Amino acid sequence: MSLIKKVVDWIDVRIGVREVVEKELTGYLLPRNINVWYSMGSILLFAFVLQVVTGMLLLIHYVPDADKAFKSVTFIMNDVPFGWLIRMCHAVGSNLMVVVLLFHMLSVLFMGSYKKPREMNWVTGFILLSMVQGISLTGYLLPWSQLSFWATTVATNSANAIPVVGPHLVEFLRGSPLVGPPTLGRFFALHVAVIPAGIAALIGAHLFFLKRTGVSTPPFGQKETANQWQGEVYSYEQHPGGIPFFPDFALEDLRSIAIFMAIFLAVVFFDPYLFFTKDSFIPANPFVTPAHIKPEWYFLANYQTLKIFPNELIGLSLQGAAMTFLALLPFIDRGPERHPLKRPLFLACAIGGLLLWIGLSVWGHLS
Amino acid sequence: MSYRDTIMNLRALFCAALICALVTVLPPSAAFAQEAAEPVCIQCHSQLPEKYSRPVTLWRGSIHAENGIYCNGCHGGDPKDAANAMNPTRGFLGAPKEIAIPAFCGRCHVGVMKDYLASAHGRMLGKGGPTCVTCHGNHLVEKALLGLINEKSCSRCHSFERARLIHDAMKETEAMIVAIDGRIGAFKKIGTDTDKLEKELFAVRNRFHTLFHNVDVELVKRESTQIQADLKKIQVVLDKLDDSHRKRRISGAAAVSFMLLIALALHLLRKTFD
Repeated sequence: MSLIKKVVDWIDVRIGVREVVEKELTGYLLPRNINVWYSMGSILLFAFVLQVVTGMLLLIHYVPDADKAFKSVTFIMNDVPFGWLIRMCHAVGSNLMVVVLLFHMLSVLFMGSYKKPREMNWVTGFILLSMVQGISLTGYLLPWSQLSFWATTVATNSANAIPVVGPHLVEFLRGSPLVGPPTLGRFFALHVAVIPAGIAALIGAHLFFLKRTGVSTPPFGQKETANQWQGEVYSYEQHPGGIPFFPDFALEDLRSIAIFMAIFLAVVFFDPYLFFTKDSFIPANPFVTPAHIKPEWYFLANYQTLKIFPNELIGLSLQGAAMTFLALLPFIDRGPERHPLKRPLFLACAIGGLLLWIGLSVWGHLS
Repeated sequence: MSYRDTIMNLRALFCAALICALVTVLPPSAAFAQEAAEPVCIQCHSQLPEKYSRPVTLWRGSIHAENGIYCNGCHGGDPKDAANAMNPTRGFLGAPKEIAIPAFCGRCHVGVMKDYLASAHGRMLGKGGPTCVTCHGNHLVEKALLGLINEKSCSRCHSFERARLIHDAMKETEAMIVAIDGRIGAFKKIGTDTDKLEKELFAVRNRFHTLFHNVDVELVKRESTQIQADLKKIQVVLDKLDDSHRKRRISGAAAVSFMLLIALALHLLRKTFD
């Protein structure tokens, strides 16, 4: 009897680990026509762990003090062994995480996987998207660069557009009338503690809902593509004759993660400055305002929408309405059909919306 | 409460929670539409007839604009209060008389003013000699580069013969400074700590600029050689940085290839389970 078997036996007689493995890994069956888009969630989980690890490493030298923050980031980039690599991984990782998150949401959207009984999966996923945007925005301020300072100034200033409470909200967000040391303090707390804890909790909820409902069957290559769930009693979507999660789909997940890592490392090593502007490496100066401040690429559509409308409140309301519509989509689109080609209205709206978002982003970038 | 009511309440609860979440997330994402406000001097003068708006147009292309030195940096006044922007009690100075121009510019460019006053040009101040703006421009203030010493400009007052000798002696050093400045700028743009290098180049460039107002050709040649030796020391540091970035790219290529190989291996392994 090998040593490994002895150890496994020892554990098994105490906590029944073989039963867990059988139930959750080798006996956990997935649809036979499962595709690569189902790996996006695993990539996201991996990317989140990567962000947590690199973030923790950055915390060793980062100083959340307005007088020292920029210097500490410069120190990390120039003097800490492999500090540049850790910082670039963190910065590039945050951007690629948003890319994968968008792919994940688009695949769920086009395969109709948000439909009942998976409304809660969609809603938790949507809140996760908002929280990832929030963590990116708060992280933007931490290097205390010109870009950080002024982007946060205009970002927080926009709350002024909200009637009555606007000015109070701006001061609440900043912790002072202007962006300054109190803003850095609260954004730091949000970035390293509050939002990550929220994201971790929501990932837990998201996975719990996934476990309870079962993995949805892709509508492709099937005769019957309508949703079979009647909404009367709880039922777990089983996949008899499906492929086991381990080793089959676990290997597919790992392969997708390896491809993600190859792309991620290519950006980190060859063009990590793709996501930086020259203002990112100039210390914050409240007395020198850069000529044009633009947000991260995934906020460019919002940025351009606000520029189109003369009144900021109209722009904000319109965006709020669009986001609310998207968040509540499973409660609005209640038809049983899941195949995108059998849902022409949905397909037209989804592609139109996607093109509009891309168009506004490009316009925002070029404007 | 019926099952339907429970569902309706749950939906309402979800909507409320989501709207709260969206209100929290959306404003920051949306607010970037604002752009930085310029001093009131620029806002107001830009709207005026050409005589008054021309300084703004010229200034936009100047080295001052490039470095964030606005109107009030030279002319004083209050850049945030339109009503008092040109109020002398707020430090407004207006345009200096010709004889006062070196002192006007010399409030910031102290060393250059000293060099100018000691030069042949400076000694002719008030007697028809050139002031700072004669060569460096007015509002469209040009960066102090060797190109300022040119036949067209110098011939306005005297022959270009001696100026040409000085110009040629300084040409190589100038080219080195421009190249090094560009390399430092490129490293700075990608987050490299260039503070020390910038300070060193600043000191060397200042020494070089003191020669601009000098007319002793031999002294200019001697000093240029010494300055070039100092510039080469900065080049060595920059070469090391280039080398380090090259090594990073090689490591990157290895890491990316390794990941692609792992992906291929996992793909093949997965195929064995089909």
